[in-house]
Amino acid sequence: MGNAEFAVRKQQIETLYSDHHSWLQTWLRRRLGDSSDAADIAQDTFLRVLTRRKLPALNEPRTYLSTIARGLVIDQWRRRELERAWQETLAVLSEREMPSPESRAIFLEALVRIDQILDALKPPVRTAFLLAQLDGLTCPQIAARTGKSLATVERYIAKGLHACYALRFET
Amino acid sequence: MTRPLPDGLVQAAIGWSIRLDYNEPSERDRQAFERWLQADPLHGLAWQRVSGLKGFEAELRGLPPGLARAALQTAQDLRARERAAGRRTAVKLLSGAGLAVATAWLAREQGLWQRLLADASTGIGEQRSLSLADGSTVMLNTDSAISIDFDGDSRLIQLRRGEILVNTGPDSEAVARSGGKRPFWVLTPFGRIQALGTRFTARLGDGHARISVQEAAVVLHPADGGGAGIVSEGESCQLMKGGMQPAEPQGFTADGWAEGVIAGRNIRLGDLLSELERYRPGRIVCDPDVAGLRVSGLFHVKDTDRALQFLAQTQPVRIGYRTRWWVTVGPG
Repeated sequence: MGNAEFAVRKQQIETLYSDHHSWLQTWLRRRLGDSSDAADIAQDTFLRVLTRRKLPALNEPRTYLSTIARGLVIDQWRRRELERAWQETLAVLSEREMPSPESRAIFLEALVRIDQILDALKPPVRTAFLLAQLDGLTCPQIAARTGKSLATVERYIAKGLHACYALRFET
Repeated sequence: MTRPLPDGLVQAAIGWSIRLDYNEPSERDRQAFERWLQADPLHGLAWQRVSGLKGFEAELRGLPPGLARAALQTAQDLRARERAAGRRTAVKLLSGAGLAVATAWLAREQGLWQRLLADASTGIGEQRSLSLADGSTVMLNTDSAISIDFDGDSRLIQLRRGEILVNTGPDSEAVARSGGKRPFWVLTPFGRIQALGTRFTARLGDGHARISVQEAAVVLHPADGGGAGIVSEGESCQLMKGGMQPAEPQGFTADGWAEGVIAGRNIRLGDLLSELERYRPGRIVCDPDVAGLRVSGLFHVKDTDRALQFLAQTQPVRIGYRTRWWVTVGPG
């Protein structure tokens, strides 16, 4: 990105921010019923815009912003559900199995990343991919376990790996 | 942002990973792979990235895979339950432009729509009592939804999901105005219930509605036509496709939940557990070997864990918590 290009982009985003930030925050507050969540997500929305490589031509900037914000709200739900699931999982562990407090937080982040990958997959793909990735089964073992053909299972695993790759190297 | 690689190359590397890492490769596979790897420096880079995806190693960072599996499974169960209950605030996000995606996602969530249309609803484990303008009260049991439509001529309640307890009121204003009460109806997909100054419960089940009368009587009008019938105090009836029939006894009182309990004698354990399951998120799975055991007593619907503990202490059963959301009850 050249300097001139960068300056134009910066100007664009500043305008977007000053014109629509408070509208977006109000829009979110009305929908979430919580003003600190709304402020966080409005902020994250602009952060997201900022880190996109290219700003699209914006005929309807508010639609654009609210679409991003809606995605972030859904991410936040997923994260909260995951937090709850993680607490539930920990609750049934014995003292011996219980991870230390600091690794618990790190592990939650690990779950968020995996969950993000799985989110992109259809249920049968997800099932096969988890058997491969977490249970260490080979494709023929998964085929036998799930009653699918070997070719289908291999296609599923390829899809899973592709989603993993995309998230890690292409975003 | 890392250096982008051509998609074809990534796919090729994934193909090799599947042959080598997710199968039992032959010597020939390995040799062919070596040739591919040496053919181009970019192949090495693609392989380095793709082979690192195996087993979520980078994502897990020391998290035991078994724990990850349990947590992800729990999250999935939780989401399925929440979607079924339509508990997400997604409704609020529905207004405004650019909705195609959100709408397609939500259209599948029938529970959510029912809730959107309903005037009053409860989530799993929740109960709620409403006082209506005519002096009637309606109590919603767990995971229930109703619409209320009172006008000058009639009082209508549509039962959309779950279960309600109705206590009809004197409708004194209408009596003062026109000399008589407005008719009181509860509508279900299987037919209408006309209340005759009464207390009764109505519960939607699979393919039927179950009506139990605690005071006075109601008249049932099956949706399919067929004759109307009276259900009197102490009786239970089912509205269903093709008409109505006396309901099978279920072993516990129909309105105990309004006092917060499942109360009964000689309840089949399987029935009791599926009843308890309504009040908590997640599943209770009963082993067929113990489903036929008979139990008696009071089981609190607000504290299903305690009810389960009580069963474990008094019956030859063992309660297993795979997670809090997945409980198994088997032979002790």
